[in-house]
Amino acid sequence: MPEAIIDHAYTCMDGESEAVKAPRLIVVAAVSAIAIAATAGTILLELASDHGGPDPGVQASLHAWLILPYVFCGLFAWYRKPESRFGLLMIAAGFVTLLSSVSAANSNLLFTIGTAFDLVAFAVFMHAFLAFPTGALRSHGERVLVGATYAVASLNVVGLMLSGFDPGNAFSVIEAPELAADLLRLQLVAVSVLFLIGFVVMVTRRGAAGRPLPTPVRVLVSFFSLAFVMGAVLLLSLALEIPLDAFLTIQRTMFVVVGLAPFVFLLAVLDARLARSAVGDLLVELRSEPAPADLREPLSRALRDPTVSLAYWLPQYDTWADQDGRPVSLPRPGDPRSVTVIDSDGGHLAALIHDPSLDEEPQLLQAVGAAAGIALENGRLQVELKAKLQELEGSRARVIEAGQRERKRLERNLHDGAQQRLIALSLELQRYADKLAVDPKAQSQIEAARREIAVSLDELRAVARGLHPAVVTGHGLGVALVSLAAGSSVPAKLNVAIEERLDESIEVAAYYVVSESLANIGKHARATTVTIEVTRECDELVVEVVDDGVGGADSERGTGLRGLADRVEGLGGQLRVWTPSGGGTRVRAQMPCG
Amino acid sequence: MRVALAEDSVLLRDGLARLLNDEGFDVVAQCEDALELMRELSDHAVDVAIIDIRLPPTHTDEGLRAALEIRERYPGTAVLVLSQYVELGLAMKLLSDSAEGTGYLLKDRISDVSEFVDAVRRVADGGSAIDPQIVSTLLSRQRTDNPLDGLTQREREVLQLMASGRSNAGIAESLVISVGAVEKYVSSIFGKLGLSSTGTESRRVLAVLLFLSG
Repeated sequence: MPEAIIDHAYTCMDGESEAVKAPRLIVVAAVSAIAIAATAGTILLELASDHGGPDPGVQASLHAWLILPYVFCGLFAWYRKPESRFGLLMIAAGFVTLLSSVSAANSNLLFTIGTAFDLVAFAVFMHAFLAFPTGALRSHGERVLVGATYAVASLNVVGLMLSGFDPGNAFSVIEAPELAADLLRLQLVAVSVLFLIGFVVMVTRRGAAGRPLPTPVRVLVSFFSLAFVMGAVLLLSLALEIPLDAFLTIQRTMFVVVGLAPFVFLLAVLDARLARSAVGDLLVELRSEPAPADLREPLSRALRDPTVSLAYWLPQYDTWADQDGRPVSLPRPGDPRSVTVIDSDGGHLAALIHDPSLDEEPQLLQAVGAAAGIALENGRLQVELKAKLQELEGSRARVIEAGQRERKRLERNLHDGAQQRLIALSLELQRYADKLAVDPKAQSQIEAARREIAVSLDELRAVARGLHPAVVTGHGLGVALVSLAAGSSVPAKLNVAIEERLDESIEVAAYYVVSESLANIGKHARATTVTIEVTRECDELVVEVVDDGVGGADSERGTGLRGLADRVEGLGGQLRVWTPSGGGTRVRAQMPCG
Repeated sequence: MRVALAEDSVLLRDGLARLLNDEGFDVVAQCEDALELMRELSDHAVDVAIIDIRLPPTHTDEGLRAALEIRERYPGTAVLVLSQYVELGLAMKLLSDSAEGTGYLLKDRISDVSEFVDAVRRVADGGSAIDPQIVSTLLSRQRTDNPLDGLTQREREVLQLMASGRSNAGIAESLVISVGAVEKYVSSIFGKLGLSSTGTESRRVLAVLLFLSG
């Protein structure tokens, strides 16, 4: 998140987005000149001060050390990223520090003005630190915190009116210096408490970042956190009126630390230029031959977010899909993941699903999206193909499934209908014949009719079995295969190593693999033995039918094997046939049954 | 002789009940599903339960499970399972360790009243009734070295009838030969197959079936 300003900086430099105009160079030059001149002025004032502390030279240089880096770095940030108010806040921090150091002046008015801004400088620093990197405070709570600090800091004016700081100050209205001193102590304690809250906010925010921040930004945030603590300590020690030596040590240490922050900021900007080169690397990588198969890896490198995932828009299906062509839904607002949609030619192309902290870097996301454009187009085509393949496989499975259901229904109808009726009819005829004991001719006619019915029943049984092997559904693969093996025209050895029932469609497919293979062997193989093995290997049902016949089986012979392969593949399995000439035939079907 | 029926087709259930009543059986329960049958069996002592293998609610193996449960819980009640197709695998499951008082027939067989009634009586008396289709599947089964090759045509006929559960007297009647001749054939067959020909007729059935299916 705090990296945003940095990446924004380069995009602005490239002239990609200029919603807010960058300051003209003349403005930058003028502000710089004013800052230098005014700093020089305050240095002179401090050296000549009749009420400054010891070592006015050290004090003056420390003020300059604080003022100039903030003003210049602020100008730099403002120029690079005018839409962020962070630069302006830094400039303000520099100038308010400058104003507060005017209190060293011997002139009463200047002293009074400087004193009025003394604590305000603290408030501006707090504002700037918390507003990093966008220049805007993130929440209502933060705005209240900063507002309260400004308010407490401004009470210096009231202290001055009560003749505080110096009884003869320019704002003095009534003589109540003791009241003013109490007020000042209260202000100091209040601001130091507010600073400690600022520290907590900073630390909490850092802990909440979802992805690792670049090192310079991390160091910068640490500087800000440290500055909050030191500011609080400084103000408290003022309120407690500790010895001057100790106070000066704390004050100077704090000035050094706070003054270092702009330099770290420059380092962070430099690092951001490296981030830009990450986008360049991405371009190079994506254009390499062969193009990377998985775009996620280069994208997450460029975005410095290891959690990045991709979704492609498939207009034909009106859906988002993952890399394997399976439909996915994008995270919605409020979800723990964020989405950046990449468009092309007026339509969606892909979506980057990433850590929400990247939301603050829209330009980086767009730059990465643009760089990956062609590769994403390719990726989408591949995903579209995969989706089509899945659709085909799905529809094949559905067709087989529907056929299976229909055959099962017909078998059931035959079983419950025609077959039962014919048996009942035959029974009735028999009873009728018994009553006609005296008429041998009629009896023999009835007997002939019953034989016809028996033949019909046999035929119906064959039809029903051809429609659906009900024994598989009713009693499992093992039981069903016993009859198949016993009925084989080539001596068959059966070995079923599964006890448990499996999915009906898997069992039926396995049954057909065996029955079709045995039929083929009987017709073509000229084999002397056949072995049927049914095993379960790692959540796959494996059915193997091996004969010792002549081999060279033509897989296109009849529709049997092709139909079997369709059935097995429709269930996500695989059917293979090894049939070396003269070396027997091995049919192996594997189907997932986890 | 007390009979309980479990058959979901009204047409067949009525037909069967009438047939059995006419033949002097006492049909004490006519049930639509296995649950009802089990309830009836806990209330009445029944000599034989005639069960359709495909019963509601799923029409898969309810009938078979009921038959196995009856064999376990009511040793005095014989079971005769009827089905529109007969499966060797199911026969072996049903007989698993004893063929005593157990029958497994194609449903078509009921229309041959005298044969069927004979089978019901045999089963009720502790014998067996195995559908000829199962026996012929076993006999015609292809083997690498077939021990049945050594049997004469007559011996094969006797073996077939024996495997389906007929008594020696029944076999003699079927083949129109004397019981003594049947006994001679039986001991010759057992000798050629290397089986010991002792025990009851239903033990004999199981031994032969196991031999043929092994």
